[in-house]
Amino acid sequence: MALNLRQKQTECIIRMLNLNQPLNATGTANEEIYKILIYDKFCQNILSPLIHVKDLRKHGVTLYFLIDKDRKPVHDVPAVYFVQPSQVNVQRIVADASRSLYDSLHLNFSSSIPRPLLEDLASGTLNSESIDKILKVHDQYLEFVTLEHNLFSLAQKSCYVQLNDPSAGDREIEEIVEKVASGLFCVLATLAVVPVIRCPSGGPAEMVASVLDQKLRDHLLSKNNLFTEGGGFASSFQRPVLCIFDRNFELSVGIQHDFRYLPLVHDVLGLRLNRLSVPGEKGGMRSYELDSSDPFWVANGSLEFPEVAVEIETQLNKGKGTKMDKLRFAIIYLICSESINPSEVEAIETSLRESEVDTCAFQYVKKMKSLNVSLASSNSASRSNIVDWAEKLYGQSISAVTAGVKNLLSSDRQLALTRIVEALMEGRPNPDVDSYLVFDPRAPKSGSGTSGSHLKGPFKEAIVFMIGGGNYMEYGSLQEFAQRQQPVKHVIYGTTEILTGIEFVEQLTVLGQKMGLGSTVASPAPTL
Amino acid sequence: MMPPVKTSYRDRTQEFLSVAERLKKSFSSTNNVASSSSGSSTKADATRSAVAIQSEFNKRASKIGLGIHQTSQKLAKLAKLAKRTSVFDDPTLEIQELTTVIKQDITVLNSAVVDLQLLCSSQNESGNISSDTTTHSTTVVDNLKNRLMTATKEFKEVLTMRTENLKVHENRRQLFSSTASKDSSNPFVRQRPLASRTAANASQAPPPPWANGSVSSSQLFTSKQTDVESQPLLQQQEQQQQMVPLQDSYMQSRAEALRNVESTIHELSNIFTQLATMVSQQGELAIRIDENMDETLSNVEGAQGQLVRVYKKNALETYISLSFSCSRCVICILALEITNAKHGVVHHDSDRVSLLGDDEGLQA
Repeated sequence: MALNLRQKQTECIIRMLNLNQPLNATGTANEEIYKILIYDKFCQNILSPLIHVKDLRKHGVTLYFLIDKDRKPVHDVPAVYFVQPSQVNVQRIVADASRSLYDSLHLNFSSSIPRPLLEDLASGTLNSESIDKILKVHDQYLEFVTLEHNLFSLAQKSCYVQLNDPSAGDREIEEIVEKVASGLFCVLATLAVVPVIRCPSGGPAEMVASVLDQKLRDHLLSKNNLFTEGGGFASSFQRPVLCIFDRNFELSVGIQHDFRYLPLVHDVLGLRLNRLSVPGEKGGMRSYELDSSDPFWVANGSLEFPEVAVEIETQLNKGKGTKMDKLRFAIIYLICSESINPSEVEAIETSLRESEVDTCAFQYVKKMKSLNVSLASSNSASRSNIVDWAEKLYGQSISAVTAGVKNLLSSDRQLALTRIVEALMEGRPNPDVDSYLVFDPRAPKSGSGTSGSHLKGPFKEAIVFMIGGGNYMEYGSLQEFAQRQQPVKHVIYGTTEILTGIEFVEQLTVLGQKMGLGSTVASPAPTL
Repeated sequence: MMPPVKTSYRDRTQEFLSVAERLKKSFSSTNNVASSSSGSSTKADATRSAVAIQSEFNKRASKIGLGIHQTSQKLAKLAKLAKRTSVFDDPTLEIQELTTVIKQDITVLNSAVVDLQLLCSSQNESGNISSDTTTHSTTVVDNLKNRLMTATKEFKEVLTMRTENLKVHENRRQLFSSTASKDSSNPFVRQRPLASRTAANASQAPPPPWANGSVSSSQLFTSKQTDVESQPLLQQQEQQQQMVPLQDSYMQSRAEALRNVESTIHELSNIFTQLATMVSQQGELAIRIDENMDETLSNVEGAQGQLVRVYKKNALETYISLSFSCSRCVICILALEITNAKHGVVHHDSDRVSLLGDDEGLQA
């Protein structure tokens, strides 16, 4: 039972495109029906990395529209809707039905539509006498974006800011936690697994874990649930472990640069939804799609490589020693110092101010560090990164970077996250993880999951989730770890959103401002 | 490992309907039921004719779709038969029948698609349908054309493979029949003369040295061929007289089979080029749904510009071609293209352009 999230989600989408009818051996519907696909912005982001226009055609989709586009009637043709269950979308659907835009509406909500919205939908279509247009209503549990076989994002923006906002009340925090947990629930439903949940105690990780545990428990009570098929085999198949972390667990990874190809492309060139736009020779933007279907992505061998590598080099050269780089270096230095030397910190701050850098983010991290020592994940790995980083900032020519990519790849730099995941999967007593909480949504509540050796592993499969922003560096590190194991393990990495170092520092800056940690420069957040 | 039959979604339709049922009851208790029914019926009248046109289009489209599907299945069967390489266990008759059926299918489907396209463009010209409907119908036609083209291409490939197999058999046979032939450009040209010559010389002709010298070595060699084929070599003296007439008719049927296949391939090339105008579809194969549509449009326009150039360049040829053929009557064109036949040429620009004409009307 290999967990392949990308494949599973694609299967679900294809089934949805075929009006949730069973498919034949060749992977298409038995009866050919031409239809129209309608989605909102969020669901477009889900579909884009998974399904190309070619695939839509293969499954009979003739037209595809954003729901808020002005659409014209196409009679006698069914429409497949794939949208988030929101008030606005429900109103659009009611309007479409009452205008008789299409023959019939097959509604698919990306997550479970709440009862009040379902009632709005019913009353709206009843009022316009168009209820017979609504042929099907489905909950799809697909509210997450899969970028690679083992990488997903809930695409929930600014989670780190919201969770660490000093002005956030309990209710706001609960809302975010609920949102994150329901996103994770979708992932688990798509994978059809009920994992054992592990997390450090305290903070957002524990909150999400316990809400998710409760959600799964509530759901498993009903007889015909999403995990039923797995239920019969639950004992024979080993369950995966879901490890939930919070960004504060290891802050520095969100800020530093990495030299592996994928993190570099993401950090420097701004890879988004597997799509990369770089300025072309003739002024326009050139787009590259980078995913598992790209041979270069898989084997480093496509012709595009030199082009992209050169692009990275020029970007790095341009970006050498910008304000943002200085700030990121200063923050990493701060995080990784075991003890804070006040005069040293003062000197850094002064030098940052001299170069007119907005120090809000630096101030914020300083404050956090003084409040919470655990931020200092001062492992050798980060230290060696600092050396690379310093060299890059102040050292010799950057062209050495592209030449040296391979060497840097081979160097053994394991992140704290990877180390902990390894310990959790191994399941042997380990002081690093013994304090970690265990939730088993299948176990009776009373025991609160402390007993039972099966809960401690070892595990062959893990889902690692980072609340508050993840990055390709952690993803890469986890994949390397999984591939190194004998036999090979399987790790899926997910996060609330994938952030570049700059984007993350921007969130830190916002938090610094919210805390009133002033900066001498009133300029907006620096950009590369 | 687990089959992907699991249901990771939930059907809420029943719940929705029961909510609606409940709401309806509460509505009817407060409102007068008959208030708005008349308004909706006039609205229904207005859309009814549009719906009727669209359903005719849909009906035909799905019929063609089904037809292509069935043809593809026959094609798979044919491919299986044609892959057999044995010389005597050769299902020639079956292959010929199937080839004829598929060829007819494709010809009929092709004209059905052209009819559908005509229906589509006449609808578009009538002007009382929405732009989205136009795009929808065009995409359906394009989709069907594309699928039919794929099937035609596959068919052609199967037939080409069949031709190759037949030729390989023939060359192999040559090896055993005679070493005397000089004009070796086309193995079938000399088939019957060769066979009769062998018959005439049968009694005097010395057996090939390698067959004569050592039985074991010839067995070794021929064991790679089919058993039956090795027989005339081993028992040449005794059986030659009986073998020759048999061989002659066999050759005849083979030559005919090859001619059939080659002419079919040629006919296909016409259908194929008629269908090969899927500019917009070919352009959008790798497109992501969030891709900038302006970019896509410029691609399509660029491709159309190319086609227009081709059109102008071949205008004269088109005129000649059109004067001879009534465009859809593919068999007629066969005569014009005998020179191309040997090479199984697929490109036929004049037909490509004549269909482009249709497309342009559609775009306008």
